[in-house]
Amino acid sequence: MVLYSVLGNDRLVEVVAGVGAAGLLLCVVALAGRWPAVIPFGLAGVGASYALFLSLRERVVDSHAPLVAAALFAAAELAFWSIEPRVGGDRAVVARRVVYVCLGALGAGLLGGILLLLTAGVSGGVVLEAVGVVSAVVALAIVTRLAARARTA
Amino acid sequence: MRRAATPKLAGYAGLGALGLLAALAVRLPELVALAAPFMLVAGVGLFRARRPEIGVEVAVERERLLEGEETEVRVTLEAAVGAERVEVLLELPQELSVVDGANPRTLHLADGEQRELSFQVVCRRWGGFRVGRVHLRTHDALGLLRHEAVVDRRRPLKVYPHEEELWNVLRPADTQVFAGHHVSRQKAEGIEFADLRRFVPGDRIRRVNWRASARRGELWVNEHHAERNADVVVFLDSFAEARLGGRGTLDLALRAAATLTERFLRQKDRVGFLTFGGMLNWLLPSTGMRQLYRIVDAMLDTEIILTYAWRDIAVVPRRTLPPQALVLALTPLIDDRAADALLDLRGRGFDLVVVEISPLPFLPQPRDELHELGLRLWRLRREAIRGRFERAAVPVAVWDDGSSLAAALEEVSSYRRHARLARA
Repeated sequence: MVLYSVLGNDRLVEVVAGVGAAGLLLCVVALAGRWPAVIPFGLAGVGASYALFLSLRERVVDSHAPLVAAALFAAAELAFWSIEPRVGGDRAVVARRVVYVCLGALGAGLLGGILLLLTAGVSGGVVLEAVGVVSAVVALAIVTRLAARARTA
Repeated sequence: MRRAATPKLAGYAGLGALGLLAALAVRLPELVALAAPFMLVAGVGLFRARRPEIGVEVAVERERLLEGEETEVRVTLEAAVGAERVEVLLELPQELSVVDGANPRTLHLADGEQRELSFQVVCRRWGGFRVGRVHLRTHDALGLLRHEAVVDRRRPLKVYPHEEELWNVLRPADTQVFAGHHVSRQKAEGIEFADLRRFVPGDRIRRVNWRASARRGELWVNEHHAERNADVVVFLDSFAEARLGGRGTLDLALRAAATLTERFLRQKDRVGFLTFGGMLNWLLPSTGMRQLYRIVDAMLDTEIILTYAWRDIAVVPRRTLPPQALVLALTPLIDDRAADALLDLRGRGFDLVVVEISPLPFLPQPRDELHELGLRLWRLRREAIRGRFERAAVPVAVWDDGSSLAAALEEVSSYRRHARLARA
């Protein structure tokens, strides 16, 4: 993903590469130290390099974004899996988990593609932007609320 | 089951929120595509969260076994509400370990499904254990929430010390009144020939020695030694032990005690047991298989408890040490209190035999000259203790893991034969 961001752009390459490298370094530190709380920061760094890449290029939708979304999701799943304590057991459990990761990555790609298709034909505006902000805040509030309920249960 | 969120949940929610807000801030729809899966997974995972209900049963194949033997522990899981991944950890004492398969293990449990896990457990050291505490941890399919529980289904597991090769045990100096396998010094009904004497009215005709009678011209009869049993008290010194790498003198002492107890009980002797140390434990002498199990079970409770309190033989209940009993002491001769108590017993007329469980194989190598000097002084001190026993005519046989117990006991028997000759 970082390579894609760096190679696909010829402006401020050092900045894009630096942000991406910082993200990767955080990921490596998290994996080496088995600190799951650090992984999201590394992924955010990698995502930030992609965001920089997008903002520096011409205003056209990146057609590879669904693939990037799938790769980022798969990387996140595998990173969290790799630092879990090793527990022996059924091969079927591992196989099911591999299937889940693959399906998740596929779903992420599909979802990204659908979202891009939906947004492609829509022109911006204050109302739509407000709807977007409200949607993001509501989604975050729902997740926070569910997480809090899950913690107290 | 106790529920907890994993770091993944917070991470995904954070990434999703950050991505969505960043998309709005910089007006990049691609970032929505990146963030949406994380937010969606977090939301779906939490919405579908449910509490697993898993019943656990534990069964142990054999509840009594010897050191080094294996047994199977079966853990049965029955899920009313299943989980995508269930981690099962069978908690085991340090002396037990799983030899076949992993512990913990992961499995998938669907709703209403029943699974049985088999753990092949090897028992590396003697002891009384309780096995069956099971730790459960479940994860949902998305790995966002985990549920944990500890189920206590413990079952007793007794691991006995394995026995030494031993053909003959010591012959006690004195016997008791009941029938047994020892040739008594008293003359009575028996098999072993003792002497000849003149016939007196009341003697049985079948005891007449016709050859002696023909030679002497009057009736002479055979006298025999009676076969009697003996009282044996196994005295275990538990004041201190030398231990290195998971093995120690107490292990050897218990192995010897179990072997000797079994052999003496087999020849109908009454056997008692006395643990003398920081913990005082005793069993009155008795016979039979029940006594063997009683003694071995009592042995499993033996442990070294450090104490500075002075202990002498007066604290031992009087009936534990019957008169004319053979006291068989198993001691590493590390603590003076045990040696003093044994010499006190000898002073009271008990037939005492000391089997010294050598602590030398369990000592670390001396690091420098000072340690070497200390070791030499310690050995001299042990020699002095042995000298005290020798002066009291108590045989001391040294036994360690590398030699056989039979050889050590033969040494004692030889000493006792020579001591008798010297007395004669």
